[in-house]
Amino acid sequence: MSSKRNVVSILALLVVAAVSTALAGDKNAPPTQKIPKGAKVFVAPIEGGYDTYLKDAIARKKVPVEIVASHDQADYEITGTAESQKASTAKKVILGNWHSREEASITVSNIKSAEVVWA
Amino acid sequence: MYSGKLLMSLVLTTLSLCIAIYPPAARSATSQENNSNQSQNKEDQSQAADPGKPAPDDQTKVPVSNIKSAPTDEGQLATVNNAKIPSYAKVYVAPIPGGFENYIIAGLRNKKVPLTVVIDRTKADYEISGVSDSEKAGWAKMLFIGSQNSNEQASIKISNLKTGAVIFGYSVHKTNSARGKQSAGEACAKHIKQIVLE
Repeated sequence: MSSKRNVVSILALLVVAAVSTALAGDKNAPPTQKIPKGAKVFVAPIEGGYDTYLKDAIARKKVPVEIVASHDQADYEITGTAESQKASTAKKVILGNWHSREEASITVSNIKSAEVVWA
Repeated sequence: MYSGKLLMSLVLTTLSLCIAIYPPAARSATSQENNSNQSQNKEDQSQAADPGKPAPDDQTKVPVSNIKSAPTDEGQLATVNNAKIPSYAKVYVAPIPGGFENYIIAGLRNKKVPLTVVIDRTKADYEISGVSDSEKAGWAKMLFIGSQNSNEQASIKISNLKTGAVIFGYSVHKTNSARGKQSAGEACAKHIKQIVLE
């Protein structure tokens, strides 16, 4: 009699566990935000040839990723925008500053899952 | 006689300089904010007067009268029926001229907004779209204010891709933005966070 009760209670527990797991699966889970070492990364063209500078910087800073030339070979993609504004004559004369103003923003996305992993 | 003419020319020069220094965007910033509220009220009234008239935006399925404005420090924010986005919902950021979508995505990350940004619209539950504009500092601003910071403005809306309803709208105007588009992008992200369930 007691063994039957035990079996029933174990079964009930298993059912509850299965239902709760299924419900948890429906919720949105936070994305994994790490790029594995040696991942293949494609840098998409960015205005003003900024992608070239970015590729050069990745190599100089020894970032442990592999840059590929084709989008099809890549696991991750870097897209972005960049804007460079040269110092105007007014800036040079009035502020005595001849440095340009640089603005850039990039996004790294996982090509397979289509999720943005870093920005 | 000469002194009178001199005085007149001095006054005229000062006036023209004042007009040149003060940027038109800054002049109209406060009035624009008030105008947006007024225009929204006008829209409400016109919608109420003519209920059969379709909404200007096809995606807006919810009546305009349900849009609630919330006071913010740096822009205009509106949510529809206090709508909320579940945490880690998949969001697609549509391309915005000037690449502003990248700044919004970066802002979402910087402000730790619990959303999953996807690059494929078909995989998304929500879509962020909008417009942005950047005004660089002119010579007069540099000369008289000594500032080389730009003025940034952007306006975004979030729509539910399943229902097609616009659930959130936000506009930001930043004068003398120290970090340019980044500041505007982060402002948008900060206010998006308010409607995300954590």
